[in-house]
Amino acid sequence: MNDEQRMLADMAGDLFTNLGPDAAMKDHWSAIEEVALTGLLLPEDKGGFGGSWGDALIAFRLAGYHALGLPVVEAVVAAALTQRPEGRGTIASRTEGTVSGVTFTGRISGACLASGADYIVAPCPEGGSMVLSVADAKVEAHENLAGEARDGLVCTGTSVERIEADVFAFGALARVAQIAGALDAALEKAVNYANERQQFGRPLAKFQAVQQNLATFACEAAAANCAAMGAAQAMSRGEAPFEIAAAKLRANRAVGIGTALAHQVHGAIGFTEEYPLHPLTRRLWAWRSEFGNDSVWAEKLGQTIVARGAENFWADLTALTG
Amino acid sequence: MQTFVTEPLDWPATAPELRNQVRTLVAEHGNADPVARANSWAKPDPEFSRKLGAAGLIGMIWPKEFGGHERSPLERYVVLEELLAAGAPVGAHWIADRQTGSLLLRYGSEEEKRRWVPGMARGEVYACIGLSEPNSGSDLASVRTSARRDGDDWIVSGQKVWTTNAHNAHVMIALVRSEAGSERNQGLSQFVIPMDAPGLTVNPIIDLAGGHDFNEVFLEDVRLPSTALLGTEGNGWKQVTAELSLERSGPERYLSSMALLVELIRFAGDKDSESLRALVARLAAETWTLRLMSASVASKIARGEDPALEATIVKDLGNSFEQAMPELVQAAVDIDPAGPEALGLVLGHLLQTSPSFSLRGGTREILKGIIARGLGLR
Repeated sequence: MNDEQRMLADMAGDLFTNLGPDAAMKDHWSAIEEVALTGLLLPEDKGGFGGSWGDALIAFRLAGYHALGLPVVEAVVAAALTQRPEGRGTIASRTEGTVSGVTFTGRISGACLASGADYIVAPCPEGGSMVLSVADAKVEAHENLAGEARDGLVCTGTSVERIEADVFAFGALARVAQIAGALDAALEKAVNYANERQQFGRPLAKFQAVQQNLATFACEAAAANCAAMGAAQAMSRGEAPFEIAAAKLRANRAVGIGTALAHQVHGAIGFTEEYPLHPLTRRLWAWRSEFGNDSVWAEKLGQTIVARGAENFWADLTALTG
Repeated sequence: MQTFVTEPLDWPATAPELRNQVRTLVAEHGNADPVARANSWAKPDPEFSRKLGAAGLIGMIWPKEFGGHERSPLERYVVLEELLAAGAPVGAHWIADRQTGSLLLRYGSEEEKRRWVPGMARGEVYACIGLSEPNSGSDLASVRTSARRDGDDWIVSGQKVWTTNAHNAHVMIALVRSEAGSERNQGLSQFVIPMDAPGLTVNPIIDLAGGHDFNEVFLEDVRLPSTALLGTEGNGWKQVTAELSLERSGPERYLSSMALLVELIRFAGDKDSESLRALVARLAAETWTLRLMSASVASKIARGEDPALEATIVKDLGNSFEQAMPELVQAAVDIDPAGPEALGLVLGHLLQTSPSFSLRGGTREILKGIIARGLGLR
């Protein structure tokens, strides 16, 4: 991290620690607006930070780490895709319907807190993305497994602006970064718990079976973090279809192993509403589905690789980085 | 908590040119046998080693004075990953290039450096590492092979086992007990032992698939000059653990099964199967991630950092991946692992050899213990 990134990490870390999973829009969104965080990826002449995807990774990872209850990540991505400095944007993962000229009729789902948002970026059925005003659609409230708002929008001849960028891929990249952060936070909780909790007269941490489980967990958290970094770095070079697919696949895999071990180490207490493990693990389970589960990204990536052929696999892989 | 400090990777500007150089060299040498490709760093081919040496691709980071090429560690990393991904037969010189040459340059006496290192850089002098003994496996600090002084000389006696490449090697660096009566990791030293020294004999150990990588090495009163002591007397444990920890995360820790993935992609090209494509994607995603992790550790080492925990994570993940791959492929593809198709042959080979991947260079249990210590659990 450079000095600016360290400042960003300190600022976002402090802010998200205070806000936490229970932050509410009406009370706490102003705290995000005060620091203009949603402009993280906007150029400075638009009032933004002029940040890179590497900077976004830092903020998104911390949002995951603190299981932040506000749709900051989505607002940052929406602003970046539309280059809009004003208002709160958000993103959605799924669209069913038809675009005719500049109007859309159909249903958008998986919208990350659409109610109260000014605009939304959703996948366009004909490729790329479309931007529409939330006021022009009927919002149907829905939540993901972790209680995060994932609204539906019913649109009838709603006017849309088409953009080239693929919000589905950007959403996946954001989720990978959040998964990386949430896994590190769950690992930290599990390690602390193992050091504190005594059974058979000694801390759980002294049992080899527990040590080996936590070591396995650490490996998975590391893999998710490295995948997030690889995809973010690739984005800075331009488009990154291979890297985003690979990163989401790898991060999704880490979710399964990591959450299982986090709960195994915590025992029954980790399964309670009271204990703050579930804000992380339930988000991880939800995020594994969002913006492409394994089958979606595996088919995209598998098709590309198989079409390019065996002899090109390694050459293509190395050509991504130099 | 972030156990693996991530950072953007900065690949050397010369990487594309080096990749082309290696690819051309491997193609010209010929590398058609798929099973040999799945055995890359265990496959000795002195002719290929000499070609690599002549092309300046061995001892790349060593000083020119000793036959090296003073390239950067990441340029060396690029060459290694290219060789392994192609499944090139690098077994003869692998240990000399990866460990022994660098160790000699760091700790060796002037005589020993001049005697061994230039030949290693030419791809003509090969090495092996004498660590394990019949009663010292994971518990390496219990080694009993001894060195005692006799005038200016040292007399080494004992036995090493599981010594990879001893039957091709010209020189061994062995960890032995140089202080009589010392315990555990105290009183150990490293010695440079010529494989043709009187009193040294090598017996093959054939593995379950009929391959010959392992050996036992008997040392019966092998006389060595004082210059054969490597580094500081009694400092052997520190030297050897530093050596092991830095060499834990190279590209060989995740690329051993690459030939299988390549054959799987070829096979999937002829079938319209979503499940095969999904497996290809999963394995490719893992390969992509591990490559970044391994290269990230390499760049930290190149900067002089000591990313021991990260290196251990890479080895554990990498070994688990290359070990899981044969079973996944066997479940997904209806093919005879005894051949004759290339995919089957590679699969059959790796089904039998992959159990060793989480043994060599530190067992999975030892690695996880190191990671647990890094997490503050012990």
